[in-house]
Amino acid sequence: MEAYRTEEEQVEALKRWWQENGRSTVIAVAVALSAAFGWQGWQRYQESQAAEASTLFTQLMESAAAVEEGAEAGRFQELAATLREQFPRSSYAQFAALHEARVAVAAGRSAEAEGDLRWVLSRADTGSDIHQVAQLRLARVLADRGQTDEALTLLQSGTGYYRAATALARGDVLLQAQREAEALAAYREAQALLSEYPGQLQVDTLAAKLQLLSAGLDTEQEAE
Amino acid sequence: MLQDIRKSTQGTAAKVVIGLIVLSFALFGIESILVGGSDNSIAEINGEPIAAQELQQAVDLQRRQLISMLGDNLDPAMLEEQRLRPQALDSLIGRRVMLQHAADLGLATSSEQLGAVVAGMEQFQIDGEFSPERYRSLLASAGYTPASFRNALGEDILLGQLQAGLLGSEFATASELALNARFLAEQRDVRYLTLPPLEADVAAVSDEAIEAHYRDNPEAYTRPESVVLNYLVLTAEDFFQPVDEAALQEAYQLEIGSYQYQDESRVSHVLLEPGSDQSKADFQSRVDEVQSALDAGRDFAEVAEAYSDDIGSASSGGDLGFTAGDAFPEPMETAIAELEEGAVSGPVETDAGVHFIKVTERRSGEAPDFEELRPMLEQRLQQREAQAALLSTVEELRDLAFMADGLAQPAEKLGLELQRSEPLTRDARGEGPLYARAVLEAAFSEEVLEEGHNSEVIEAGPEQFVVVHVAEHREPAQRPLDEVREEIARTIAEERAREARLAEAEAAAEAIRGGESVESVARRLGVDWQVELGARRNSPALPRALSQRLFSLPAPQGDASVVDVLLADSGEARVLELVRVSPGSLEQMPAAEQQQLRQQLRGEYGQTLQAEQRQGLRERAEITVL
Repeated sequence: MEAYRTEEEQVEALKRWWQENGRSTVIAVAVALSAAFGWQGWQRYQESQAAEASTLFTQLMESAAAVEEGAEAGRFQELAATLREQFPRSSYAQFAALHEARVAVAAGRSAEAEGDLRWVLSRADTGSDIHQVAQLRLARVLADRGQTDEALTLLQSGTGYYRAATALARGDVLLQAQREAEALAAYREAQALLSEYPGQLQVDTLAAKLQLLSAGLDTEQEAE
Repeated sequence: MLQDIRKSTQGTAAKVVIGLIVLSFALFGIESILVGGSDNSIAEINGEPIAAQELQQAVDLQRRQLISMLGDNLDPAMLEEQRLRPQALDSLIGRRVMLQHAADLGLATSSEQLGAVVAGMEQFQIDGEFSPERYRSLLASAGYTPASFRNALGEDILLGQLQAGLLGSEFATASELALNARFLAEQRDVRYLTLPPLEADVAAVSDEAIEAHYRDNPEAYTRPESVVLNYLVLTAEDFFQPVDEAALQEAYQLEIGSYQYQDESRVSHVLLEPGSDQSKADFQSRVDEVQSALDAGRDFAEVAEAYSDDIGSASSGGDLGFTAGDAFPEPMETAIAELEEGAVSGPVETDAGVHFIKVTERRSGEAPDFEELRPMLEQRLQQREAQAALLSTVEELRDLAFMADGLAQPAEKLGLELQRSEPLTRDARGEGPLYARAVLEAAFSEEVLEEGHNSEVIEAGPEQFVVVHVAEHREPAQRPLDEVREEIARTIAEERAREARLAEAEAAAEAIRGGESVESVARRLGVDWQVELGARRNSPALPRALSQRLFSLPAPQGDASVVDVLLADSGEARVLELVRVSPGSLEQMPAAEQQQLRQQLRGEYGQTLQAEQRQGLRERAEITVL
């Protein structure tokens, strides 16, 4: 780079540089500015969308509590539908569908619950937290509808977070299918996994099933 | 060098770089380069730091919770930093991992949501209305700024949503309810008899049996390691001196001069200020007007409201609060001192203007006499002087104990009594300075126990200092046989009684299996028997151990009942006969119980999911503790 001897020479050099590069500089700055503002705008839009969905979800939880207290389910269903239609990609919509499934199961409408859970599965990322929970619950609903084999297939894969809950559900499904020895093995697996978690989980129903099943099966083996 | 800088900033590339820096400040603000890179972080979770200060806050919070939960039962060791820190850090990490998960799921809160929650919190309300003053003062007392509070609240909302959405949507299907009811509501019919514990016959245990037991179980009769300590104690009381009479008198004068023993008057006033555009005569006529109104017996508060130029007090009847003779300008105080309670003064002039004064209340602060205060003052003075002497002696003892080999010499120099303790174990408990944790820890430390040095001078309690030296170290040792002879005889006799009971119970069980009824066996043995029909799991009608055993027995096959024996640690034996098992049924459960079962199943699945979620997220997170 050459050195400039006087002020005029510097100004002259700048002018020359501007003539050569001015246009591209202006374009580059304009592109950078619009990208930055566009990115900020996009982020703001995302945030406002998430905040709106969040507010709707809070209202949904309030109305769900009201339904538990005996209120009509109309408002609850309306809010859940709004969340699912307006924010189909948000986690809040998936939470809403999970709650619709819960309400449907409590009312004995297991077909409807199956639909809700499949909706969640089609939208949540495979392997994600929500996907795993929805899949576990779908298996339990299918078992309730008598589709034991489908349920067991869904409960086979034991790689996710929820291995104890999955083993527990598998035990229940097997027991319903009168496969008691396999059920006992699944319950024992669940018990072993649970005992590894901090905080001493008390699953009384599991303890009861283990106690009675193992008493019954031991005698059968002795009889043989 | 300057020339070089000048040169290099003139290049096109340099200009572009500078331009970009300018642009980024303009768009993103200076925070973009200032935030982050904090040096005092103590852990990183997926690249996000946890600040040391955050951990300190969590530790303080935990400490406060422990204190309020346990109160006086609290073991001070539980509040120690080293013990609280790991727990606090662990819960901070857990919370941060969950928050990151919530962010990954795109959960968010809006400031309207936060505002609504804050406005709805009862703690911040006065008479059902949100009070900003109360909000600020409560936050300040809990160590929050409004911004940090909103931040923490926002995090709580996110965590709540995550839990409500994923775990709160748990359910129990109809077939799961039926299945679990079958097990949980199972009913069992049982008959049982109880053989009370046999008397332990200690006298019948032979010396040979005792010696054999002593040989075979050496670890049961070992005395733990202990130390006998030589020690010196310094307390403030050691330095109490008779107090000088003159000093007592001086303290008495100081005491009665303090505000709490002085007369106080509550006063109201009407103030008239001469206006700048008011002539002297006009002002005087206002003064006269007030004077005549008061003379006519008009209520002082009314007059104050109508005439007083002191807007601060006019609306409250002219009330100025209490004075002990030094709150107001001299002329006012003189007038106040001369007034009777309830009387009104004439015009009193001060720099502020003209006052009419009324004494509304008088509190007399009669000073107690010298003899009354004497014990209190004496103790206070003694304490104060003893404290100074104590601390300087402690310093002296520190030096002496550090230099000396044992404690005899320091004791002699300071005129203290060298004391000797009982044998103390590491975890000895009791009253007195030696049982303070810090003292026992020092006594068993390498320096004191093994190298035989004096300990440091330890503050064992308020104004109580101890220094210890190990006089005798007792290694763990087998207790002599004669010392434990009786203990062993009792152990053996009790074991024999249990065995004898068990044998009787087994014989009874055999008889029942052979067809004899529980009732007839009980009558033959002269003991009680009971029957319980339709007993449920955890039924309060059955002893707990019995119920546990009953529900782990296999169901009877055909007509044959199942008979079992149960021996308690106390030596009491039970023989139980399980007669019939009826599976539970959901339909026969009362509605309330069905609902309870539904909640139980939902809860169990919910908490299992929660535990696994925490575990799973933590396993996948990248956690570095620095």
